[in-house]
Amino acid sequence: MLKRKQFLIGGLVVALALGFLLYNGFTGAATYYYTVSELSALGSSVYGENIRVNGKVAPGSVEREEQGTLLRFSVIDADSGQGFPVVYRGVVPDTFKEDSEVVAEGYLDSSGIFYASTVLAKCPSRYEPAE
Amino acid sequence: MVEIGYAALFLALIAAVYSVVAFPIGVRRGRSALVESARNSLVAVCGLVSISVIALVYAIVTHNFQVEYVATYTSSDMPLNYLLSALWAGNDGSLLFWAWILSIVAAVIVLHRRDIGKELVPYAASVVMATQAFFLFLLLFVANPFQLLSFVPAEGRGLNPLLENPGMFFHPPFLLAGYVGFTVPFAFAIAALWTRRLGDEWIVAVRRWTLLAWLSLALGNLFGAWWAYVELGWGGYWAWDPVENASFMPWLVATAFLHSIMMQRRRGMLKVWNMVLIILTFTLAILGTFLTRSGVLSSVHTFAESPLLGTLFLSFIGAVLFSSLGLLYYRSEELRGETEMESLLSRESTFLLNNLLLVGATFAILVGTFFPVLSEAVRGVKISVGPPFFNQVNSPIFLALILLAGICTLIGWRRTSATNLVRNFLWPLVGALALAVVLFAVGIREWYALAAFPICGFVLATIFYEWFRGTSARHRMRAENYFKAFWGLITSNRPRYGGYIVHIGIILFAIGVVASSVYNVEKEASLKPGETMTINNYILTYEGMDNYETQSRQVVTATLSVSNSGEPLGRLAPEKYFHRNFDQPVTEVAIRSTLVEDLYVILVGWDADGTTAFKVLVNPLVNWMWLGGIVLVIGGLLAFWPERRKPVAPKTQGGEGR
Repeated sequence: MLKRKQFLIGGLVVALALGFLLYNGFTGAATYYYTVSELSALGSSVYGENIRVNGKVAPGSVEREEQGTLLRFSVIDADSGQGFPVVYRGVVPDTFKEDSEVVAEGYLDSSGIFYASTVLAKCPSRYEPAE
Repeated sequence: MVEIGYAALFLALIAAVYSVVAFPIGVRRGRSALVESARNSLVAVCGLVSISVIALVYAIVTHNFQVEYVATYTSSDMPLNYLLSALWAGNDGSLLFWAWILSIVAAVIVLHRRDIGKELVPYAASVVMATQAFFLFLLLFVANPFQLLSFVPAEGRGLNPLLENPGMFFHPPFLLAGYVGFTVPFAFAIAALWTRRLGDEWIVAVRRWTLLAWLSLALGNLFGAWWAYVELGWGGYWAWDPVENASFMPWLVATAFLHSIMMQRRRGMLKVWNMVLIILTFTLAILGTFLTRSGVLSSVHTFAESPLLGTLFLSFIGAVLFSSLGLLYYRSEELRGETEMESLLSRESTFLLNNLLLVGATFAILVGTFFPVLSEAVRGVKISVGPPFFNQVNSPIFLALILLAGICTLIGWRRTSATNLVRNFLWPLVGALALAVVLFAVGIREWYALAAFPICGFVLATIFYEWFRGTSARHRMRAENYFKAFWGLITSNRPRYGGYIVHIGIILFAIGVVASSVYNVEKEASLKPGETMTINNYILTYEGMDNYETQSRQVVTATLSVSNSGEPLGRLAPEKYFHRNFDQPVTEVAIRSTLVEDLYVILVGWDADGTTAFKVLVNPLVNWMWLGGIVLVIGGLLAFWPERRKPVAPKTQGGEGR
């Protein structure tokens, strides 16, 4: 039975190590994920925190500056049309376009502008027609 | 043709359901005519689904835009090869493709003559047909690829230009075939539980099927990574996106299964565990199929949200898990291990640890992937974890797994004495330490690279050392020359040596991943024609922009001349395409690829005055990943290749398995 004990202890050590890795990973990488309207409702309480936000690119709001490396657009709730401006510096994914869904990661500053460090666009071809 | 396609699916569903019922009843009651009819009806399913596939392909090729699927994913100006790939470009079509492969697999199972496990075949066929029926049901009532529009559009919407890449021919079908393939080992496992034939039969019957599915899934993911790297233009190949994770998880668990069945065959251990692993693999494969279609998790890959489809998939997954784990519980008494572990220092221990780590990594990825859903259920807020989480958690686990691959190569079954251990490991260990010292001396300081490269070197050394010893033993004993001795060694036990070659492939892949993620350099610059930028030892001079039109698109090309440490390397020309009938640009990156590193140039944008923005990356050793992939496939095929039939060796034969 000594053998059995050895293996149990070994397994326990592995499980603890896994648990530690998971815990460590979560505390380092957890990011709140909001929709546009949820984030708007939270307002000043989340200024400066790292956040992911999911919404729609407002039609007509996209501006590209500095050879396309600076992107400004508004992200809005698909139903209410309410939202806030987003500023992003970097390579814009090809799939990004007006009226399509985006996920932006970054922070909301006190002036109500969302500074994004990443912008992910859903690939529209893979969508079934919306109607 | 469209009506024929739909009707064929309908008949296929009826035939599939008949097979599900007739197989077990026929066998139980000893009515061979009934079994024979079930078998015929299974083959008929294959024929009918094939007809349905032909009907859809016909509609696609003849541009029958009244079919909604055809109008959504194709257009009349598409070349034939991309037209054919439209079969799996959308939700409905890819489900039909799934069902088609499954029906072919099912036919192969029942028509293939086998010596071991033939009593299991009718029950396994019944389980496969049940899965088949589920997918046919979805195709008929929820995701009908033959759905007609009330009008006939003049033109279809066409394929998204981003998907115009050879990756489109390989990535989806290999991935789907991998998912489908896991149905076979699962079905045989259930058949074994059902019939109480709980010995090694089912393991023997499914090893090669599992290997094939595993290989196919690996290839699918490799093609996907390569595609993302050359086409999507963000310089990466893996983003821990939910859909990517979904295809990685069944692969990891299947890897664990492929290892742990060796424990059952050699030592009669882990019988329940093997059942659990294959049930999990199948469930995760279905989950992967489901995640792309559900809209549960936001991902760049997903199809439209379809609540009904999601509900049906979840019910199916729930039913599979509940019934198979329940059945396993009722049989658990009969699945006791025949032997006990003898020593911590044994190959069994390394396999056990390998299994724990693989399942642990899968669990971490599962939790990370579903964290938004879990946190919303528990705390009412969605919390997501990004790539840093997955990298942080998995990199130590994968490093440990690679290390284990080295240890298990040179450690014996049952138990190993300390002197044996020292004798076997001394030289590989010395080599790895020497490598670490050299790496430190040339200026490598990141701890992960300092740990990873020597570990990879250690594992390679153990494998080559093992090959060397085996070859020289044959050389001495059989007086063969070294080349012949080596060939004889490899072919004497293909599963074993194929496995080692797979390990080498994984290590090459890992070296590429570590180097390209720890040592990649990126730089953004805005240049006017004539201006230069430097990155590492590369000097890039912007020569100018060119603009030309083709039939379907406008192409903008920016040309840069490149030199490395003063030596001219020619030109690179990243491009952007603007398609006439697609409101979306396509960025074509320019890559100068060598075995040492890739110079990767993205054209970001430009102003009217000619200032042009570039993003340039230097990614070291990326080609090692693709090379590793090729080695992995070679090893996998070697392990898969049928062996000439010979009497089964008694499994208690210990030693190092030679």
